[in-house]
Amino acid sequence: MVIGGITPEAFAFGLFTILTLGGALGVALNRNLVRGAVWLIVSLFGMAGLFVLLSAPFLAAVQVLVYIGAIGILITFAVMLTRSMTNLRERFTNQWWMSAIVAGLFFLFLLLGVVAPVWGSLSPDQAPAIVGTTEQLGVSFVDGNQFVLPFEVVSLLLTAAIIGAIVIARHQEEEE
Amino acid sequence: MDIPSFADLNLGVTLPAVFLALGTTVLLLIDAFLPKERRHLTAWFALAGVLVSFVLTLFNFGSSETALAGMFVADSFTGFMNLVALTAAAITILLSIDYLKRTGNARGEFYSLLLLSTAGAMFMASANDLIVVFVALELLSIPLYIMAAFRLNNAKSEESGMKYFILGAFSSAFLVYGSALIYGATGTTNLQEILASIGGIVEAGSSAIFYLVIGAALIVVGLGFKVAVVPFHMWTPDVYEGAPTPVTAFMSVGAKIGGFAALLRVLVTALPFLVAGQTVEPVWQNTIMIVAALTLIVGNFVAISQSNIKRMLAYSSIAHAGYIMMAVAAAANPFTADFAARSALIYLLAYTFTNLGAFAIALAIEKDDGSGTDIKDFVGLARSKPVLAAAMAVFMFSLTGIPLTAGFTGKWFVFQATMQAGLVPLAVIGVLTSVVSAFYYVRIIVNMYLSDGEGDEAAGATPLVNWAVYISFAGTLLLGVFPILATNLTETVTLLASVAP
Repeated sequence: MVIGGITPEAFAFGLFTILTLGGALGVALNRNLVRGAVWLIVSLFGMAGLFVLLSAPFLAAVQVLVYIGAIGILITFAVMLTRSMTNLRERFTNQWWMSAIVAGLFFLFLLLGVVAPVWGSLSPDQAPAIVGTTEQLGVSFVDGNQFVLPFEVVSLLLTAAIIGAIVIARHQEEEE
Repeated sequence: MDIPSFADLNLGVTLPAVFLALGTTVLLLIDAFLPKERRHLTAWFALAGVLVSFVLTLFNFGSSETALAGMFVADSFTGFMNLVALTAAAITILLSIDYLKRTGNARGEFYSLLLLSTAGAMFMASANDLIVVFVALELLSIPLYIMAAFRLNNAKSEESGMKYFILGAFSSAFLVYGSALIYGATGTTNLQEILASIGGIVEAGSSAIFYLVIGAALIVVGLGFKVAVVPFHMWTPDVYEGAPTPVTAFMSVGAKIGGFAALLRVLVTALPFLVAGQTVEPVWQNTIMIVAALTLIVGNFVAISQSNIKRMLAYSSIAHAGYIMMAVAAAANPFTADFAARSALIYLLAYTFTNLGAFAIALAIEKDDGSGTDIKDFVGLARSKPVLAAAMAVFMFSLTGIPLTAGFTGKWFVFQATMQAGLVPLAVIGVLTSVVSAFYYVRIIVNMYLSDGEGDEAAGATPLVNWAVYISFAGTLLLGVFPILATNLTETVTLLASVAP
């Protein structure tokens, strides 16, 4: 299906690129840290969309769960806990150009790697068709020939962590 | 796809650890559904679980099988480590029941966490795969972080838990990084397969050997943090001092059991032929030797200047990690590897009884608010509590390594392994630092018997704590007088799949 010369893939790619880059710009240009954190989540969401387009649905799900779900919230909490910084509106220090140079150099380096075949050839036919990565992963977790033991031990580990969170958080309440 | 039958998984040999892990989840439910006035039963259910797992271990003892597609190995090394870990857990439960009550922290979750940690140590002892080593180490550590912070409204306990958590998480990252590099070099996380692919890498002299060396170094750093060897020991005194005393007692033993089990398995089973040039010894031997020597010297000398018993025992536990590290260094030589592994096991058992006993006495004289653990609080204990004082004297002798105590048996085996491996300077350092250690251990005995002063009434010495002392005391003496008890059990320990030609 092609609408006005644009395939749905191209449209989605454009949308996710705008989200990713726009979000990144929002992080860099915003002076309020909480808003910066929200923009970061937008940018990370765009990245998740790009992973879907690269036929890596599992990475996309992990991106949403880990980066947006956990890390985004963690950053927001950290900002809120250091409350004095929530309303920070002062100018950045004079060293901003140093970060700009480092970021620019890093960008050039990546660009070189993507455009020039420094790290091996980049012919498009290497892109794999959608593979059931999530399905394979799920099977290998419960397959007795693969990773069932670490999987079960990790589940115990999470139980321990949850008990710990409750035990430590209940401190205040039981005092009364 | 190849579908395994149930029998292929060989679940029978995993039963001791799996039973404990499953039992713990049941224990959580039992604790939640018990009526409030029966909550004190949780601890006894936990103890029963430990005993059942102990019996299951004994039934499985001496087998040498892998299970779950090579992820889990059950041999006499696993069996012995399991017995040590379960003994430590049982004594810790006895110590905890009254201590938690009198300090106002009696909550049933404690026992679930303790058992989860024990299960983690058992999984580490049976790990045959770097992934299992990592997740089992976390299962061992995370409950320990929580238990370290278990004391309500106590800044020291919270600081202890926080410090332990941050440094522990940091060290886990080293372990994972090291495992990833080894996986990158060999393409597998299974210890036997790593062993098999290393020969080719070393012979071809390919650059992958650098990844292996860096990977092994990072794994030593990560596990070194857990077992508290110098220079990764900085957290130990603060964490040991702040944590509730039964937790400190368990931590000092449990973390060492898991850490040394993994260290021996990874280094001796997977990387014994990681050699450079024409030597027999792998490249990691020198590192381990230096770490062992530093640990012995720093641990023993800094312990002298401590005035708090928990801090002193913390440095003493660092020093003892050094003695076990000597055995690891000796295990680098393929011809003495099995004997060295045996000596490490015997040392761990001896250390478990002795150290838990020493902590039990420290717990007995501790006040409800956590004070009263200074060395000078031992003054006159021989008059007020002659039995406890006598037991403490024996524990101190055992930590020093005086004959007819467990400590002597352990040290004798470790020194012998070190000599057999030809590491004479290390053995000399070990003997000399043992002499130094006598200084601070004997000071406690002097305080108890020779110093004038009114003895502490030892309010914490309830019948259950006394039982823990008696059990540790019996273990310390039995192992000292009849070392054959431990040597028999470790006779079939082999970590090396095949001895080098």
